Amino acid sequence: MANRASSDRPATVALIGNPNTGKSSLFNALCGGQARVGNYPGVTVEHKTARMPLACSTFKSIELVDLPGTYSLSARSADEAVSVEVLCGEMPSVAKPDAVIVILDATNLERNLYLLSQVLELQLPTLVALNMWDRLGKEGMKLDAQKLSESLGVRVVCTSASKRFGIAEVQSALLEILEKANSTDSRGVLERSALASASFPKAFLESVDELEDWFGAQGCPLERFQIERLLIDDSQAHSYRVIPKRISSEVAQRIATTREHLATQGVSIPLFETRARYGWIKQRVVGVVERQVRERRVSTSDRIDRWLTHRWMGLLFFIALMFLIFQSITAFASWPMDGISFGTQWVGQRVEGMMAPGPLRSLLVDGIIAGVGAVLVFLPQIAILFFFIAVLEDCGYMSRAAFMMDKFMSALGMSGKSFLPLMSSFACAIPGIMATRTIENRRDRMVTLLIAPLMSCSARWPVYVLMVSAFVPKQAVLGGWVSVQGAVLFAMMCIGALVAIPVAWLLKRFVFPGAPSTFIMELSSYKWPSFRVVAMRVWERVLSFIARAGSLIFVTSVLVWAAAYFPGDHSLLDQATARLEAEQADPNADEAKTQAWTSQINQLKSDLISKSYLGMAGQWIEPIVRPLGWDGKIGVAVLASFPAREVIVATLGTIYSLGGGQDETSQGLAENLRSATWPDGRPVYNLATACSIMVFFALCAQCVSTLVTIRRETNSWRWPIFSFVYMTTLAYLGAWIVYNLMRFWLDP
Amino acid sequence: MALYQSPQAVPVEFLAPETEGVVVDLCGEEKNLHRLEELGIRCGCKIRMLCPGETCLLAIEGKKMCLRLGSTAEILVQPLTP
Repeated sequence: MANRASSDRPATVALIGNPNTGKSSLFNALCGGQARVGNYPGVTVEHKTARMPLACSTFKSIELVDLPGTYSLSARSADEAVSVEVLCGEMPSVAKPDAVIVILDATNLERNLYLLSQVLELQLPTLVALNMWDRLGKEGMKLDAQKLSESLGVRVVCTSASKRFGIAEVQSALLEILEKANSTDSRGVLERSALASASFPKAFLESVDELEDWFGAQGCPLERFQIERLLIDDSQAHSYRVIPKRISSEVAQRIATTREHLATQGVSIPLFETRARYGWIKQRVVGVVERQVRERRVSTSDRIDRWLTHRWMGLLFFIALMFLIFQSITAFASWPMDGISFGTQWVGQRVEGMMAPGPLRSLLVDGIIAGVGAVLVFLPQIAILFFFIAVLEDCGYMSRAAFMMDKFMSALGMSGKSFLPLMSSFACAIPGIMATRTIENRRDRMVTLLIAPLMSCSARWPVYVLMVSAFVPKQAVLGGWVSVQGAVLFAMMCIGALVAIPVAWLLKRFVFPGAPSTFIMELSSYKWPSFRVVAMRVWERVLSFIARAGSLIFVTSVLVWAAAYFPGDHSLLDQATARLEAEQADPNADEAKTQAWTSQINQLKSDLISKSYLGMAGQWIEPIVRPLGWDGKIGVAVLASFPAREVIVATLGTIYSLGGGQDETSQGLAENLRSATWPDGRPVYNLATACSIMVFFALCAQCVSTLVTIRRETNSWRWPIFSFVYMTTLAYLGAWIVYNLMRFWLDP
Repeated sequence: MALYQSPQAVPVEFLAPETEGVVVDLCGEEKNLHRLEELGIRCGCKIRMLCPGETCLLAIEGKKMCLRLGSTAEILVQPLTP
């Protein structure tokens, strides 16, 4: 293997470490800021890759893979399994690593060395980044990095990734390691005798030898590390996934027999492993770490935690914080929303001015601009919501909130680990569902995954904001400090979470019964949120929202426009519109004539839309949605929004733009909704209808992407179908109850 | 630091706020004990109780960790005097 030729492929380098060691910060520093920085377990749920701007004589570039934080390679949760799969070369989309960077928290060396002791067993060239070097002094510690390197037998570089200290050294050490790996027979890896597994009991090592031979004879050779994991981990662990099905039952039997044999030899599986590894670690750190004995000081983090993790004060703070966030969103978003709304109308008017009336102009103005514009107007609210979530994540508060919530969630048979994915789902259910990979207990994971879509994601915001701004009085109470609109928005954001409580209880009781799971989670220190990280997360989310508006919502707007435009004959309408525009262009225009043309146009539009495909669908669906207080137009808009819930706003925008609800004094969709009437002249929309629509959207599973993600995460269509059915039923019942209660309250 | 006069080890949940103890034993299901040891909670390590309760907040060798083990495992500690 010596002096291998230069390769055109990039080198693959994996970055691994315990949670909260600054791993993603190091990844960003090495690659120029491509990945999220996680300060609590669960942010990095998938591996992330980025190209490092480095080259050596062996490889033309370096592909760095950021792996989820893990304490060990004994994978129990889906995210830990990602790390093991990548390191063992089992991940189809990632080449087997040519080298590994193991990041260690210098202030907690012994525990971090546990993971390193396992990584070294993989016999991959390894570089140790000793991070948080700058905090050693504050912790009253001294560490001899050179001695540690000699003791471990691997290259050690001191870093402070958040301050970009030691980054160049990591890069140059990595290049050296890759060169050495390609030019020597040993590839720069440790001898077996230097590994922690060398201190495993003799009987265990002999059993591993026997199994290694047996797997080879079965035509399924496994690496020694994988065989060790098969013997040590329980049958639910990741290590069992590498066994081909044809021999799986035989393997299970063999493992069981071997374990029985080892038990007779006094080998206590799995505990002997931790004891052997910590024994190895103890030897390696002799004379490396020096701790000053000094009085324990109460840190700022401790002082803050006394309040924020207090049984009642902590809970009150959490609720007050959430309320404040939603109040701020309504307060800060109105000005930019008005700006976008004005911009959309301005673009529509310019297009109308440049084109003669006809189907193409109608498609552009009534379909695309009215549809996509109606959704884009909510971008400021969504950006502000993402900003607050990113700040809370980055400063370290979220893991405290998970701790606070564990007391409550354990009553439902779940754990605080479910809180983080559920909180993520307030931004979008998809990352929330993916974040459930951090939950080790399968039953907890399934329940969390099935209730995550009930959290009020950002796609529901356009619906809430539209209804609240149109039908909830714009007034303040409690001395002007609390806006009624903000309070209703907050209530709508809470409703899904409140309904999720009995749903979780029922699921845990009847669908996934079992003993309550344990909860263990490390809390990172508080820190000032990084502007760069917060800005990057907000930018990613905003881009994703715009991409949806530009793709799915664009296509739906066009389809809805087509359904509302055809099959009617629009020639009379086009002539009337041309006459009206000519009249309006004349400075001496007769106002009575203009009014007459406007009335005629609205009548024509109303007739055309009622005879369109959309109008026919509305007549068909009306009996079903009438108990909820909705007319056929709302029914059609809701039907069109099943692929993505925010589509309702675009659809209503298109329907009312085409349907003659607008005139020259119209100030947008909200006013169109307020002026919509039943045939007998009663308004279609009132507070009861608005609340009924909002509750329906709060509880309904109107997101194909979410359902597909549930399918992918559960590997079965059964659970997305289950989610769709239970949520849609809940939504219909909830909307019906709220409509009738509100109607009774408003008009007893 | 000196040990209490009573040599009695107590479950970690019994530690009062801001008191410290040294882990002297771990009992329970082996797979849970394996996990605890991987996380650095093992005999000899020092634990400080920050927030007691069924779900408690601890500082383990200076790192904060929240913990609820229920009946699956028990951490026995020898309390230390302040």
